[in-house]
Amino acid sequence: MRLVRADWLAACLAAIVLAGVPWLFGSGYILGVMTVALCFGIWAASWDFMSGLTGRENFGHSLFIGAGAYTAGFLNVNFGVNPWWSLIAAPLVAILFGLAAGFPTLRLRGPYFALAMLSSAAVMQNLTIIFSRYTGGQDGLNGLEPMLDSTLAYYYLTLFFLVVTTVGLKLVANSSWGTILRAIRGDEASCQAAGINVTFYKIASLVISAACAGLGGALYAHYQLQVGPDLFAVILSINIIIMVYVGGIGTIYGPVGGAVLLNVLTESLRVFSEYRLWVYTLLLIFILFFAPQGLIAPAWRRIRRVLP
Amino acid sequence: MSPLLQVERLNKRFGGLQAVKDVSFVLNAGSITGVLGPNGAGKTTVFNLLTGFIAFDTGDVRLDGRPLAGLSPYRIVNRGLARTFQLARPFLGMSVLENVEVACLAPRVRRAGHPRARARGWLDLVGLGDKAELLADVLPYGDLRRLEIARALATRPSLLLLDEPFAGLGAGEIEPLAGLIRKLHRSEGLTILIIEHKLREFMQLVETVIAMDFGEIIAIDGPSAIVRHPRVIEAYLGKGELIARTTNDHATGARNGAA
Repeated sequence: MRLVRADWLAACLAAIVLAGVPWLFGSGYILGVMTVALCFGIWAASWDFMSGLTGRENFGHSLFIGAGAYTAGFLNVNFGVNPWWSLIAAPLVAILFGLAAGFPTLRLRGPYFALAMLSSAAVMQNLTIIFSRYTGGQDGLNGLEPMLDSTLAYYYLTLFFLVVTTVGLKLVANSSWGTILRAIRGDEASCQAAGINVTFYKIASLVISAACAGLGGALYAHYQLQVGPDLFAVILSINIIIMVYVGGIGTIYGPVGGAVLLNVLTESLRVFSEYRLWVYTLLLIFILFFAPQGLIAPAWRRIRRVLP
Repeated sequence: MSPLLQVERLNKRFGGLQAVKDVSFVLNAGSITGVLGPNGAGKTTVFNLLTGFIAFDTGDVRLDGRPLAGLSPYRIVNRGLARTFQLARPFLGMSVLENVEVACLAPRVRRAGHPRARARGWLDLVGLGDKAELLADVLPYGDLRRLEIARALATRPSLLLLDEPFAGLGAGEIEPLAGLIRKLHRSEGLTILIIEHKLREFMQLVETVIAMDFGEIIAIDGPSAIVRHPRVIEAYLGKGELIARTTNDHATGARNGAA
């Protein structure tokens, strides 16, 4: 599980390819698609850190995304705060949400954590509509200021944060912390018997996961310049989970690849117009049927075995 | 000898069932003690109460004089009381080495440094050194037992509880495992409490036996004396084969003692 030089080289290569995208495809449209894809990359990696490693599937990751995005929206639109502050405030608010959700739910076993997270996100989505005076209701908050004038520069800013979160989460996942999280996935009672404070590690990893998701939410908000209740939607969480599985669960880098792949795939399927969803779903079924371990991470493992 | 573990009037009720009733005993540091009793006698429940996996209703448990009541299982482990499970519970999807490494990361031993190297040392001690890189999923049952013991040892316990370590093992696996437990007791100076059914090996291993039936301690005595205790015979009455075997064991034990 140690990161070897080949891993670092591949990571650099992937980052260079992503950095080269604007130069290869000059259009602003593709730049936009890719910026969103990078946000999904942050969300998928952060989901994988908590749920992929500990095996506690979080069906409400959008709770943290929405919390981060709305924090950015409130600060900028309602209080006129400089958009850069969102990058600090959004993770902090997401951490609070992580603590609030984690303390009562992570003591639960079985599917309760997944269900509790799912319903928390759904409740928040409805709260944004109930308190429409502050949140703009269904229309959300509009007119966020961009952090950078150039969309190209903003793409690189997002790429920078994606690289930082992915490398950071991967390093932690490969440390003794990650060993403990994988042990929790294996057997909680055994973990207790090994003297490990299981509850602490579960809550702490949820909080880290939430912070990264919140950061991604703020980046997304300042790209779209608008936040809406859909950012809390269950379908967003589920899309992220699909990206994680397509990339390869529990590997951190795989889900990032899965996120980029599926975002690009969705866009390239536009040629099928109204049959797009059919094709997309069929492709997903094929991928998950023939490659249940995902595509990106197993592929890299195979390549690495061949490398000297 | 100073008492390492003091258990006083431990009680646990599950609904209408008094699973553990007024259980009191003392374990001295460096001793090796067995818990004997038919199925449902409350042996595993006592283990679960001592290790915090189940909270007891009333009573007092002290390790080195410090009370353990109300502590969660991982805290009790970090006080120095480790256990193995009756059914081996490895961390699936992880290597044998990583399985033990997790326990080397417990706060009690964390600062000892190099968890991977320490884990390797524990695997060597229990005789799994050459299987360190294998996935725990593929280990045979006997090796899983050793893995459980290595994982418990990695937390450097002052008291080790073994829940039926011989259950489900083949004839060829029992004696080596008994040898390992004897080694842990003699060379490592570990205090051990064992639950067991397999009487022969068990009786040769332990110094004292706590006999239980219906949640109560019915006798505490040496291994050769306990099988002649009227209440122990009564608890096992009807299991003629068992009594025959224990008398047989007693004879073997005496022979070993003479040698």
